[in-house]
Amino acid sequence: MHSGQASRPPGRLARWVARWSPTTRRHFRLGMLFIAPWTIGFLAFTLYPMLASLYFSFTEYRFRGTSQWIGLGNYRQLFQDDLFWTALGNTAYMVVIGVPLLLIFSFICAVLLNLKVRGQSFYRVVYFLPSIVPVVASTMLWLWILNPNSGILNSFLGIFGLHGPNWFHDPAWSKPALILLGLWGTGGTIVIYLSGLQDVPVSLLESAELDGASWLQRLWHITIPMVSPITLFNLITGVIGMFQYFSQAYVFGAAVATVGNAIGAPLNSTLFYSVYLYQNGFIFLKMGYASAMAWILFFIILGCTVLLLRFTENITYYAG
Amino acid sequence: MTRLFRRQPRRFSLRKQVQSALSHMAIIGVGMFFFIPFLWMVSTALKSDIDVFRNPPTLLPHDNVTVEVNGERLPLYSVTQDGVTRQLALVSAVSGMGTFVDPADPSTPMEIRLRDAQPILRVALRWQNFADAMNRATRPGLGVNFWTYFKNSLIIAFFAVVGTLLSNAPVAYAFARLRFPGRDALFVLVLATMMLPFQVTMIPLYLLFNEFLHWGDTFLPLIVPTFFANAYDTFLLRQFFRTIPEEMCDAARVDGASEFQIFTRIILPLSVPVLATVGVFTFLWAWNDFLGPLIYLQSPQNFTMALGLQDFQGQHIVAWNLLMAASLIFTIPIIIAFFFAQRTFIQGIKLTGSKEM
Repeated sequence: MHSGQASRPPGRLARWVARWSPTTRRHFRLGMLFIAPWTIGFLAFTLYPMLASLYFSFTEYRFRGTSQWIGLGNYRQLFQDDLFWTALGNTAYMVVIGVPLLLIFSFICAVLLNLKVRGQSFYRVVYFLPSIVPVVASTMLWLWILNPNSGILNSFLGIFGLHGPNWFHDPAWSKPALILLGLWGTGGTIVIYLSGLQDVPVSLLESAELDGASWLQRLWHITIPMVSPITLFNLITGVIGMFQYFSQAYVFGAAVATVGNAIGAPLNSTLFYSVYLYQNGFIFLKMGYASAMAWILFFIILGCTVLLLRFTENITYYAG
Repeated sequence: MTRLFRRQPRRFSLRKQVQSALSHMAIIGVGMFFFIPFLWMVSTALKSDIDVFRNPPTLLPHDNVTVEVNGERLPLYSVTQDGVTRQLALVSAVSGMGTFVDPADPSTPMEIRLRDAQPILRVALRWQNFADAMNRATRPGLGVNFWTYFKNSLIIAFFAVVGTLLSNAPVAYAFARLRFPGRDALFVLVLATMMLPFQVTMIPLYLLFNEFLHWGDTFLPLIVPTFFANAYDTFLLRQFFRTIPEEMCDAARVDGASEFQIFTRIILPLSVPVLATVGVFTFLWAWNDFLGPLIYLQSPQNFTMALGLQDFQGQHIVAWNLLMAASLIFTIPIIIAFFFAQRTFIQGIKLTGSKEM
């Protein structure tokens, strides 16, 4: 985060600036003028809120009142908060099960869409279109599809004599239902995979084919290793996104709950990290507590990213 | 293309055909998973209230076929009794029994068990749902309907696009082309802010806008920050600006053009496609945003569609057909934009790796 200048002793920085020629000064002023929107935005909407939330996380924040410094109190309390662990567990479920499923499914879809068949561009549109449906609308749609009584999925299962689960009303099935909703809207990831597949050198695949490698062998030994940087990219953005998973869970918590606490319904099974953070900050108005959660989230995300990069170093193939 | 390695065309034709058939089956099979929910959304949006809860559900919207009997329109049923099937009109129904009449001879009513009668249906699209969804006063007394939300979403998205384009382009130009001390260090800082989850700044931002600036329950907290550049769009635009040949700018400089003139007369006109990408993605982001409006907007008059959709979920009964019609109205502008700017969409996803559009 620290720039080169910040690490210089102030004396040196001042001397460095003093040595600038009039032209350099003019360039500096011009540059500063052009980047002014970012600088102001960074100071007001990023740096200040960051420092403020760090400070809040060490206080018992009273909305419209005086806050009190409590040191690590919020953090200590969080580790004893059962709901914090529930939320972290639910989020971990989505990260550990949901993200890999999303990647595998997206990859399979991309492979299918890369096959040379008639109507390819039509199929691409069909696979992609659900991903541009606004999340609130797609969540509503899946609430309806998975409606236990009149929904189309359970009726479809009924044709085969299968009794579909209660989905959103059953704590054991609510998260799989959300993953299903995620799979439906995975078009963006498919497009990224598809562009990766198109970059796999045809010559490599053709020579393998001449050597008698089957389609599956080519897929396993050439295509999958060649797109591994894209898998890593999708994995990292997927994990980061999943830790911030909010809208879908919030919308259907509100829809499923009958009375009282709408968040996390049914039975806290969809109480995800960001949902619990929102609840603490904006419903219970425990803004110091929520700020502490936000900082823990930041470090979890940072840690996961570093770990993923470290562990995949040896299995990611970078051409060129 | 590869003439040298062209294989004999006929020898593998059967195998090729089987492969092609299997490919098609797989693509269509998985495609159903994407297509049917979409169809279900459109279909539900066009169903009547009764049709929505028909069990088992029909994939297409249906309506009862009706006949006119004594000046009244009655639903027509196919009734099977003693192996004979007749078409009768239902006059009234009480606890499993129905009073039917023969449309040809309405003078003699018949009592028949309802389970012996099947309604005769025909495909019927209820377009009226769209008008109903838009005009329904979901919050009586406030004068609020879905048009209000549509208008609010449009205003916010419009200003977000304007703000994002106006603020990011010059910043990106400075990072791409201007040489000034500290530029690269600052650019690292720009990229570093991408790592920061919104949750970290969310609460102080709320307090800043709500308590300090008193912008609570207005569009300002959603619009104003877009006028101050962001890391993603700055990065995207910078990458594009760097591909514009430096010589063009140098030539203009020799002719005495200022940096500002180079930026507005050379760089911006050459960057229309990438500016369109940024514009489209900003529009989508603002249009879809849920958490921002949820935090800042309190009165229904100011709700966006993302918030207003929940109005269709009543306490006990959900008007699924109207909810789906409203969801479609929410989605259609994006679909239209997609078909007009398909290339822009796909390019944008590849450039930003953005999935949360």
